[in-house]
Amino acid sequence: MTETMIPQFPDYSIYAGLYVEVANSKELHSVVSNLPFAFIEADTICSREQLFSAVYKALIESSFNKQRTKTLNSECILSLSPTSNIGEAFKRFGISEKTSRIVVLSIVAKTEKAILEAKELIHGVGVDLTDEALESGYDLGLIKKVCSRCTQLFERLKKANLLLTTSRYIELQI
Amino acid sequence: MSKELIERVSNYLNNNVQIELISQGAEAVVFITHSHPYLPNASDDKEQYIIKYRPAKKYRHPAIDKALTKHRTLSESRILAKLSQIDGINVPKLIACDVYNGCIWLEFLGVDLPNQCGFSNLKNFLWMSVADPYSQLVEDVLIKVGRQIGLLQWNDYCHGDLTTSNIVLVPENGTWSAFLIDFGLGSSSNLVEDKAVDLYVLERAIISTHSSFADKYNQWIMQGFSQIYELHGKSGLKKLKEITRRFEDVRLRGRKRSMIG
Ligand SMILES: Nc1ncnc2c1ncn2[C@@H]1O[C@H](COP(=O)(O)O)[C@@H](O)[C@H]1O
Repeated sequence: MTETMIPQFPDYSIYAGLYVEVANSKELHSVVSNLPFAFIEADTICSREQLFSAVYKALIESSFNKQRTKTLNSECILSLSPTSNIGEAFKRFGISEKTSRIVVLSIVAKTEKAILEAKELIHGVGVDLTDEALESGYDLGLIKKVCSRCTQLFERLKKANLLLTTSRYIELQI
Repeated sequence: MSKELIERVSNYLNNNVQIELISQGAEAVVFITHSHPYLPNASDDKEQYIIKYRPAKKYRHPAIDKALTKHRTLSESRILAKLSQIDGINVPKLIACDVYNGCIWLEFLGVDLPNQCGFSNLKNFLWMSVADPYSQLVEDVLIKVGRQIGLLQWNDYCHGDLTTSNIVLVPENGTWSAFLIDFGLGSSSNLVEDKAVDLYVLERAIISTHSSFADKYNQWIMQGFSQIYELHGKSGLKKLKEITRRFEDVRLRGRKRSMIG
Protein backbone atom coordinates (compact mmCIF):
# COMPACT_ATOMS: atom_id res chain seq x y z
CA MET A 1 0.00 0.00 0.00
CA THR A 2 1.26 3.44 -0.81
CA GLU A 3 0.27 6.59 0.99
CA THR A 4 -0.79 9.66 -0.93
CA MET A 5 -3.03 12.63 -0.42
CA ILE A 6 -5.40 14.90 -2.27
CA PRO A 7 -3.80 18.37 -2.31
CA GLN A 8 -7.06 20.06 -1.43
CA PHE A 9 -7.63 17.77 1.57
CA PRO A 10 -4.33 17.58 3.45
CA ASP A 11 -6.07 16.42 6.62
CA TYR A 12 -6.59 12.99 5.13
CA SER A 13 -4.10 10.30 4.22
CA ILE A 14 -5.06 8.00 1.41
CA TYR A 15 -3.69 4.49 1.31
CA ALA A 16 -4.10 2.50 -1.87
CA GLY A 17 -2.86 -0.83 -3.09
CA LEU A 18 -3.50 -3.65 -5.51
CA TYR A 19 -3.51 -7.32 -4.62
CA VAL A 20 -3.62 -10.13 -7.17
CA GLU A 21 -3.99 -13.91 -6.87
CA VAL A 22 -6.12 -13.37 -3.78
CA ALA A 23 -7.05 -16.72 -2.25
CA ASN A 24 -9.32 -15.76 0.65
CA SER A 25 -11.88 -13.43 -0.90
CA LYS A 26 -14.70 -15.53 0.56
CA GLU A 27 -13.46 -14.76 4.04
CA LEU A 28 -12.73 -11.11 3.22
CA HIS A 29 -16.16 -10.66 1.74
CA SER A 30 -17.79 -11.78 4.98
CA VAL A 31 -15.90 -9.31 7.17
CA VAL A 32 -15.36 -6.36 4.85
CA SER A 33 -18.09 -4.19 6.35
CA ASN A 34 -16.26 -4.16 9.67
CA LEU A 35 -12.87 -3.27 8.27
CA PRO A 36 -11.43 0.22 7.83
CA PHE A 37 -10.96 -0.37 4.10
CA ALA A 38 -12.77 -0.27 0.83
CA PHE A 39 -12.15 -3.55 -0.96
CA ILE A 40 -12.85 -2.91 -4.61
CA GLU A 41 -13.22 -5.48 -7.38
CA ALA A 42 -10.11 -4.58 -9.40
CA ASP A 43 -11.69 -5.90 -12.59
CA THR A 44 -13.96 -2.84 -12.57
CA ILE A 45 -11.09 -0.34 -12.41
CA CYS A 46 -9.26 0.58 -15.59
CA SER A 47 -7.09 3.49 -14.47
CA ARG A 48 -5.83 5.38 -11.45
CA GLU A 49 -7.78 8.31 -12.72
CA GLN A 50 -11.04 6.39 -12.40
CA LEU A 51 -10.13 5.34 -8.87
CA PHE A 52 -8.80 8.60 -7.50
CA SER A 53 -11.48 10.77 -9.05
CA ALA A 54 -13.89 8.73 -6.93
CA VAL A 55 -11.80 9.50 -3.85
CA TYR A 56 -11.89 13.18 -4.74
CA LYS A 57 -15.63 13.07 -5.24
CA ALA A 58 -16.16 11.29 -1.92
CA LEU A 59 -14.17 13.97 -0.11
CA ILE A 60 -16.02 16.78 -1.89
CA GLU A 61 -19.39 15.27 -1.03
CA SER A 62 -18.56 14.63 2.61
CA SER A 63 -16.90 18.03 3.12
CA PHE A 64 -19.32 20.30 1.28
CA ASN A 65 -22.55 18.42 0.86
CA LYS A 66 -23.40 15.27 2.74
CA GLN A 67 -21.88 11.87 3.08
CA ARG A 68 -24.41 9.26 2.09
CA THR A 69 -22.72 6.16 3.47
CA LYS A 70 -21.25 5.24 6.86
CA THR A 71 -17.59 5.86 6.10
CA LEU A 72 -15.41 7.67 3.61
CA ASN A 73 -14.22 4.30 2.38
CA SER A 74 -17.69 3.17 1.46
CA GLU A 75 -18.38 6.63 0.05
CA CYS A 76 -15.61 5.96 -2.48
CA ILE A 77 -17.36 2.82 -3.67
CA LEU A 78 -20.59 4.76 -4.05
CA SER A 79 -18.69 7.43 -5.98
CA LEU A 80 -17.53 4.85 -8.49
CA SER A 81 -21.07 3.86 -9.29
CA PRO A 82 -23.29 5.31 -11.99
CA THR A 83 -26.33 5.05 -9.74
CA SER A 84 -26.97 6.52 -6.32
CA ASN A 85 -28.18 3.18 -4.99
CA ILE A 86 -25.75 2.16 -2.27
CA GLY A 87 -26.53 -1.55 -2.29
CA GLU A 88 -26.11 -1.69 -6.01
CA ALA A 89 -22.79 0.16 -5.82
CA PHE A 90 -21.44 -2.41 -3.38
CA LYS A 91 -22.67 -5.27 -5.50
CA ARG A 92 -21.06 -3.83 -8.59
CA PHE A 93 -17.80 -2.41 -7.34
CA GLY A 94 -17.27 -4.24 -4.07
CA ILE A 95 -15.56 -7.61 -3.92
CA SER A 96 -17.41 -10.88 -4.25
CA GLU A 97 -16.56 -14.29 -2.89
CA LYS A 98 -14.83 -15.07 -6.15
CA THR A 99 -12.71 -11.95 -6.50
CA SER A 100 -9.06 -12.62 -7.19
CA ARG A 101 -7.82 -9.06 -7.75
CA ILE A 102 -8.56 -6.40 -5.16
CA VAL A 103 -7.94 -2.68 -5.06
CA VAL A 104 -7.65 -1.68 -1.42
CA LEU A 105 -8.37 1.85 -0.42
CA SER A 106 -8.37 3.55 2.93
CA ILE A 107 -8.99 7.19 3.72
CA VAL A 108 -7.82 8.09 7.18
CA ALA A 109 -8.12 11.45 8.88
CA LYS A 110 -4.67 12.54 10.06
CA THR A 111 -6.11 12.88 13.54
CA GLU A 112 -6.94 9.19 13.59
CA LYS A 113 -4.36 6.52 13.95
CA ALA A 114 -3.91 4.47 10.83
CA ILE A 115 -4.17 0.79 11.49
CA LEU A 116 -3.28 -0.64 8.18
CA GLU A 117 -2.83 -4.32 8.07
CA ALA A 118 -4.35 -5.16 4.73
CA LYS A 119 -1.24 -7.17 3.97
CA GLU A 120 -1.96 -9.52 6.81
CA LEU A 121 -5.63 -9.81 5.99
CA ILE A 122 -5.32 -10.48 2.31
CA HIS A 123 -3.84 -13.75 1.18
CA GLY A 124 -2.48 -12.58 -2.11
CA VAL A 125 0.37 -10.84 -3.87
CA GLY A 126 0.74 -7.10 -3.43
CA VAL A 127 1.70 -5.28 -6.63
CA ASP A 128 2.20 -1.61 -7.44
CA LEU A 129 -1.01 0.21 -8.19
CA THR A 130 0.03 1.51 -11.59
CA ASP A 131 -2.02 2.30 -14.67
CA GLU A 132 -0.26 -0.56 -16.43
CA ALA A 133 -1.29 -3.04 -13.74
CA LEU A 134 -4.91 -1.87 -13.82
CA GLU A 135 -4.96 -1.68 -17.59
CA SER A 136 -3.73 -5.23 -18.01
CA GLY A 137 -6.27 -6.67 -15.62
CA TYR A 138 -9.58 -4.93 -15.97
CA ASP A 139 -12.57 -6.65 -17.52
CA LEU A 140 -14.15 -4.59 -20.26
CA GLY A 141 -17.29 -6.72 -20.32
CA LEU A 142 -17.75 -6.25 -16.60
CA ILE A 143 -17.18 -2.51 -16.73
CA LYS A 144 -19.76 -2.27 -19.47
CA LYS A 145 -22.16 -4.15 -17.28
CA VAL A 146 -21.58 -2.15 -14.11
CA CYS A 147 -21.59 1.16 -15.92
CA SER A 148 -24.68 0.33 -17.93
CA ARG A 149 -25.56 3.96 -18.49
CA CYS A 150 -22.23 4.54 -20.15
CA THR A 151 -22.09 1.31 -22.10
CA GLN A 152 -21.76 2.60 -25.62
CA LEU A 153 -19.70 5.48 -24.45
CA PHE A 154 -17.16 3.49 -22.55
CA GLU A 155 -14.74 2.74 -25.33
CA ARG A 156 -14.84 6.25 -26.66
CA LEU A 157 -14.37 7.66 -23.20
CA LYS A 158 -11.49 5.37 -22.59
CA LYS A 159 -9.93 6.26 -25.89
CA ALA A 160 -10.32 9.93 -25.21
CA ASN A 161 -8.79 9.23 -21.82
CA LEU A 162 -11.82 10.76 -20.26
CA LEU A 163 -12.97 10.61 -16.76
CA LEU A 164 -15.62 8.01 -16.32
CA THR A 165 -16.32 8.97 -12.78
CA THR A 166 -16.51 12.68 -13.32
CA SER A 167 -18.76 12.25 -16.32
CA ARG A 168 -21.02 9.95 -14.37
CA TYR A 169 -20.99 12.26 -11.42
CA ILE A 170 -22.33 14.97 -13.61
CA GLU A 171 -24.96 12.77 -15.18
CA LEU A 172 -26.16 11.85 -11.74
CA GLN A 173 -26.70 15.43 -10.79
CA ILE A 174 -28.82 16.35 -13.75
CA MET B 1 -8.25 40.77 -7.82
CA SER B 2 -9.39 41.74 -4.36
CA LYS B 3 -7.45 40.54 -1.37
CA GLU B 4 -10.57 39.04 0.09
CA LEU B 5 -11.21 36.99 -3.03
CA ILE B 6 -7.63 35.71 -3.13
CA GLU B 7 -7.96 34.68 0.47
CA ARG B 8 -11.21 32.90 -0.16
CA VAL B 9 -9.81 30.92 -3.08
CA SER B 10 -6.64 29.98 -1.21
CA ASN B 11 -8.68 28.91 1.76
CA TYR B 12 -10.85 26.75 -0.38
CA LEU B 13 -8.07 25.18 -2.43
CA ASN B 14 -5.59 24.97 0.40
CA ASN B 15 -1.97 26.11 0.20
CA ASN B 16 -0.91 22.84 -1.36
CA VAL B 17 -2.50 24.04 -4.57
CA GLN B 18 -0.41 26.93 -5.81
CA ILE B 19 -2.34 29.06 -8.26
CA GLU B 20 -1.62 31.84 -10.68
CA LEU B 21 -4.38 34.13 -11.86
CA ILE B 22 -4.74 34.32 -15.63
CA SER B 23 -8.15 35.83 -16.16
CA GLN B 24 -10.88 37.53 -14.22
CA GLY B 25 -14.30 37.79 -15.76
CA ALA B 26 -17.66 38.91 -14.46
CA GLU B 27 -18.71 35.34 -13.84
CA ALA B 28 -15.52 33.45 -13.05
CA VAL B 29 -11.85 33.73 -12.22
CA VAL B 30 -9.40 31.45 -13.99
CA PHE B 31 -6.13 30.16 -12.58
CA ILE B 32 -3.28 27.97 -13.71
CA THR B 33 -1.87 25.38 -11.35
CA HIS B 34 0.74 22.62 -11.49
CA SER B 35 -1.24 20.46 -9.07
CA HIS B 36 -3.50 17.72 -10.32
CA PRO B 37 -6.67 17.68 -8.21
CA TYR B 38 -6.32 14.05 -7.17
CA LEU B 39 -3.90 11.90 -9.19
CA PRO B 40 -0.86 10.89 -7.13
CA ASN B 41 2.46 11.84 -8.68
CA ALA B 42 0.83 13.75 -11.50
CA SER B 43 1.75 17.14 -10.17
CA ASP B 44 4.97 18.42 -11.64
CA ASP B 45 6.31 21.63 -13.07
CA LYS B 46 5.68 20.62 -16.66
CA GLU B 47 2.00 19.81 -16.28
CA GLN B 48 -0.53 22.60 -16.05
CA TYR B 49 -4.19 22.57 -15.21
CA ILE B 50 -6.89 25.19 -15.37
CA ILE B 51 -9.00 26.00 -12.34
CA LYS B 52 -12.17 27.93 -13.07
CA TYR B 53 -13.77 29.32 -9.96
CA ARG B 54 -17.08 31.12 -9.62
CA PRO B 55 -16.85 33.25 -6.50
CA ALA B 56 -19.92 33.93 -4.38
CA LYS B 57 -21.60 37.20 -5.20
CA LYS B 58 -22.18 39.31 -2.11
CA TYR B 59 -25.10 41.26 -3.55
CA ARG B 60 -27.19 38.13 -4.01
CA HIS B 61 -29.10 36.36 -1.30
CA PRO B 62 -26.79 33.52 -0.11
CA ALA B 63 -29.29 30.77 -0.85
CA ILE B 64 -29.99 32.09 -4.33
CA ASP B 65 -26.31 32.61 -4.95
CA LYS B 66 -25.53 29.04 -3.94
CA ALA B 67 -28.22 27.62 -6.18
CA LEU B 68 -27.10 29.74 -9.13
CA THR B 69 -23.44 28.84 -8.71
CA LYS B 70 -24.30 25.18 -8.55
CA HIS B 71 -26.55 25.42 -11.56
CA ARG B 72 -23.99 27.23 -13.71
CA THR B 73 -21.05 25.08 -12.71
CA LEU B 74 -23.07 21.99 -13.40
CA SER B 75 -24.30 23.29 -16.70
CA GLU B 76 -20.79 24.10 -17.95
CA SER B 77 -19.43 20.75 -16.72
CA ARG B 78 -22.26 18.84 -18.22
CA ILE B 79 -21.82 20.42 -21.63
CA LEU B 80 -18.08 19.75 -21.54
CA ALA B 81 -18.66 16.14 -20.53
CA LYS B 82 -21.21 15.64 -23.29
CA LEU B 83 -19.10 17.34 -25.95
CA SER B 84 -16.06 15.27 -25.04
CA GLN B 85 -18.05 12.21 -25.93
CA ILE B 86 -18.72 13.37 -29.47
CA ASP B 87 -16.22 12.21 -32.06
CA GLY B 88 -14.24 15.04 -33.57
CA ILE B 89 -15.21 17.81 -31.18
CA ASN B 90 -12.23 19.36 -29.44
CA VAL B 91 -12.84 20.76 -25.98
CA PRO B 92 -10.74 20.71 -22.82
CA LYS B 93 -11.06 17.57 -20.77
CA LEU B 94 -13.02 18.01 -17.56
CA ILE B 95 -10.83 16.73 -14.76
CA ALA B 96 -12.77 17.55 -11.62
CA CYS B 97 -15.80 19.44 -10.53
CA ASP B 98 -17.10 20.74 -7.22
CA VAL B 99 -20.51 22.20 -7.85
CA TYR B 100 -20.98 23.28 -4.21
CA ASN B 101 -18.10 25.71 -4.41
CA GLY B 102 -18.38 26.57 -8.10
CA CYS B 103 -15.06 25.09 -9.07
CA ILE B 104 -14.00 23.04 -12.08
CA TRP B 105 -10.59 21.76 -13.12
CA LEU B 106 -9.79 21.48 -16.80
CA GLU B 107 -7.03 20.29 -19.03
CA PHE B 108 -4.77 23.19 -19.98
CA LEU B 109 -4.69 23.82 -23.70
CA GLY B 110 -2.52 25.93 -25.94
CA VAL B 111 1.05 27.21 -26.01
CA ASP B 112 2.91 30.48 -26.18
CA LEU B 113 3.20 31.65 -29.76
CA PRO B 114 6.69 32.46 -31.04
CA ASN B 115 8.07 36.02 -31.02
CA GLN B 116 6.06 37.19 -28.03
CA CYS B 117 2.83 36.90 -29.95
CA GLY B 118 1.06 35.70 -26.81
CA PHE B 119 -1.09 32.73 -25.95
CA SER B 120 -2.22 30.59 -28.89
CA ASN B 121 -5.82 31.63 -29.15
CA LEU B 122 -7.24 32.43 -32.58
CA LYS B 123 -7.03 36.16 -31.99
CA ASN B 124 -3.29 36.15 -31.31
CA PHE B 125 -2.68 33.64 -34.07
CA LEU B 126 -4.33 35.92 -36.63
CA TRP B 127 -2.33 38.87 -35.36
CA MET B 128 0.82 36.83 -35.67
CA SER B 129 -0.06 35.94 -39.25
CA VAL B 130 -0.59 39.51 -40.38
CA ALA B 131 2.61 39.51 -42.46
CA ASP B 132 1.22 36.72 -44.61
CA PRO B 133 -2.51 36.97 -43.89
CA TYR B 134 -3.77 34.67 -46.62
CA SER B 135 -1.27 31.85 -46.13
CA GLN B 136 -2.23 28.23 -46.54
CA LEU B 137 -1.74 27.83 -42.79
CA VAL B 138 -4.24 30.57 -41.95
CA GLU B 139 -6.73 29.09 -44.39
CA ASP B 140 -6.32 25.59 -42.90
CA VAL B 141 -6.73 26.87 -39.36
CA LEU B 142 -9.88 28.88 -40.13
CA ILE B 143 -11.45 25.96 -41.98
CA LYS B 144 -10.74 23.79 -38.95
CA VAL B 145 -12.33 26.41 -36.70
CA GLY B 146 -15.40 26.35 -38.93
CA ARG B 147 -15.54 22.57 -38.73
CA GLN B 148 -15.48 22.68 -34.93
CA ILE B 149 -18.42 25.06 -34.91
CA GLY B 150 -20.16 22.94 -37.51
CA LEU B 151 -19.73 19.83 -35.39
CA LEU B 152 -20.95 21.65 -32.33
CA GLN B 153 -24.09 22.91 -34.02
CA TRP B 154 -24.75 19.75 -35.99
CA ASN B 155 -24.96 18.06 -32.59
CA ASP B 156 -27.37 20.76 -31.39
CA TYR B 157 -25.10 22.66 -29.04
CA CYS B 158 -24.43 26.36 -29.01
CA HIS B 159 -21.41 28.05 -27.53
CA GLY B 160 -23.03 31.31 -26.48
CA ASP B 161 -19.85 33.42 -26.55
CA LEU B 162 -17.88 32.56 -29.67
CA THR B 163 -15.06 35.05 -29.66
CA THR B 164 -11.58 34.65 -31.11
CA SER B 165 -10.23 34.33 -27.55
CA ASN B 166 -12.46 31.37 -26.88
CA ILE B 167 -10.92 29.40 -29.72
CA VAL B 168 -7.57 27.93 -28.73
CA LEU B 169 -5.05 26.44 -31.14
CA VAL B 170 -3.06 23.43 -30.06
CA PRO B 171 0.01 22.24 -31.99
CA GLU B 172 -0.49 18.82 -33.48
CA ASN B 173 1.68 16.99 -36.00
CA GLY B 174 3.30 20.13 -37.30
CA THR B 175 0.05 22.01 -37.70
CA TRP B 176 -2.70 23.37 -35.43
CA SER B 177 -5.88 21.84 -34.07
CA ALA B 178 -8.73 24.12 -33.05
CA PHE B 179 -10.32 23.74 -29.62
CA LEU B 180 -13.37 25.51 -28.24
CA ILE B 181 -13.20 26.73 -24.65
CA ASP B 182 -15.45 28.50 -22.15
CA PHE B 183 -18.89 26.92 -22.24
CA GLY B 184 -20.11 29.12 -19.40
CA LEU B 185 -22.86 30.40 -21.70
CA GLY B 186 -23.17 27.19 -23.67
CA SER B 187 -26.43 25.39 -24.15
CA SER B 188 -27.98 22.45 -25.79
CA SER B 189 -30.18 23.97 -28.47
CA ASN B 190 -31.65 23.01 -31.78
CA LEU B 191 -32.98 26.51 -32.45
CA VAL B 192 -31.85 27.94 -35.76
CA GLU B 193 -31.83 31.37 -34.16
CA ASP B 194 -29.31 30.38 -31.46
CA LYS B 195 -27.05 28.84 -34.05
CA ALA B 196 -27.19 31.85 -36.34
CA VAL B 197 -26.43 34.17 -33.44
CA ASP B 198 -23.39 32.06 -32.53
CA LEU B 199 -22.07 32.47 -36.07
CA TYR B 200 -22.86 36.16 -36.10
CA VAL B 201 -21.00 36.79 -32.85
CA LEU B 202 -17.88 35.17 -34.25
CA GLU B 203 -18.20 37.04 -37.54
CA ARG B 204 -18.37 40.33 -35.63
CA ALA B 205 -15.32 39.33 -33.58
CA ILE B 206 -13.33 38.65 -36.72
CA ILE B 207 -14.47 41.90 -38.32
CA SER B 208 -13.61 44.00 -35.29
CA THR B 209 -10.10 42.68 -34.76
CA HIS B 210 -8.95 41.70 -38.23
CA SER B 211 -11.05 43.96 -40.42
CA SER B 212 -8.82 44.08 -43.52
CA PHE B 213 -8.94 40.32 -43.96
CA ALA B 214 -12.31 39.61 -42.39
CA ASP B 215 -14.19 38.77 -45.59
CA LYS B 216 -11.84 36.00 -46.55
CA TYR B 217 -11.51 34.79 -42.97
CA ASN B 218 -15.24 34.54 -42.42
CA GLN B 219 -15.59 32.80 -45.76
CA TRP B 220 -13.05 30.16 -44.71
CA ILE B 221 -14.81 29.64 -41.40
CA MET B 222 -18.12 29.15 -43.18
CA GLN B 223 -16.43 26.80 -45.64
CA GLY B 224 -15.37 24.55 -42.76
CA PHE B 225 -18.76 24.92 -41.12
CA SER B 226 -20.56 23.86 -44.31
CA GLN B 227 -18.28 20.85 -44.81
CA ILE B 228 -19.72 19.24 -41.68
CA TYR B 229 -23.32 19.69 -42.82
CA GLU B 230 -22.49 18.52 -46.34
CA LEU B 231 -21.39 15.20 -44.88
CA HIS B 232 -25.01 14.51 -43.98
CA GLY B 233 -26.68 14.48 -47.38
CA LYS B 234 -30.00 16.08 -48.05
CA SER B 235 -31.02 16.67 -44.45
CA GLY B 236 -27.63 18.24 -43.74
CA LEU B 237 -27.97 20.60 -46.68
CA LYS B 238 -31.47 21.56 -45.63
CA LYS B 239 -30.32 22.43 -42.12
CA LEU B 240 -27.31 24.29 -43.48
CA LYS B 241 -29.59 26.40 -45.65
CA GLU B 242 -31.85 27.23 -42.69
CA ILE B 243 -28.91 28.34 -40.62
CA THR B 244 -27.21 30.41 -43.31
CA ARG B 245 -30.52 32.09 -44.18
CA ARG B 246 -31.13 32.98 -40.56
CA PHE B 247 -27.52 34.09 -40.27
CA GLU B 248 -28.25 36.66 -42.99
CA ASP B 249 -31.35 37.82 -41.10
CA VAL B 250 -29.39 38.22 -37.90
CA ARG B 251 -26.72 40.15 -39.75
CA LEU B 252 -29.36 42.45 -41.24
CA ARG B 253 -30.93 43.02 -37.85
CA GLY B 254 -27.52 43.82 -36.44
CA ARG B 255 -26.86 46.35 -39.17
CA LYS B 256 -30.20 48.06 -38.60
CA ARG B 257 -29.54 48.23 -34.92
CA SER B 258 -26.16 49.83 -35.40
CA MET B 259 -27.66 52.35 -37.84
CA ILE B 260 -30.26 53.39 -35.31
CA GLY B 261 -27.98 53.11 -32.27
N1 LIG C 1 -8.65 24.94 -20.94
C1 LIG C 1 -7.95 26.08 -21.03
N2 LIG C 1 -6.68 26.06 -21.48
C2 LIG C 1 -5.98 27.22 -21.57
N3 LIG C 1 -6.44 28.42 -21.24
C3 LIG C 1 -7.69 28.50 -20.78
C4 LIG C 1 -8.51 27.34 -20.66
N4 LIG C 1 -9.71 27.74 -20.17
C5 LIG C 1 -9.62 29.07 -20.01
N5 LIG C 1 -8.42 29.56 -20.37
C6 LIG C 1 -7.96 30.96 -20.35
O1 LIG C 1 -8.73 31.70 -19.42
C7 LIG C 1 -9.47 32.72 -20.09
C8 LIG C 1 -10.84 32.88 -19.47
O2 LIG C 1 -11.50 31.63 -19.43
P1 LIG C 1 -13.09 31.54 -19.54
O3 LIG C 1 -13.63 32.25 -18.34
O4 LIG C 1 -13.42 30.09 -19.57
O5 LIG C 1 -13.41 32.25 -20.82
C9 LIG C 1 -9.52 32.26 -21.54
O6 LIG C 1 -9.67 33.32 -22.44
C10 LIG C 1 -8.17 31.58 -21.69
O7 LIG C 1 -7.15 32.49 -21.93
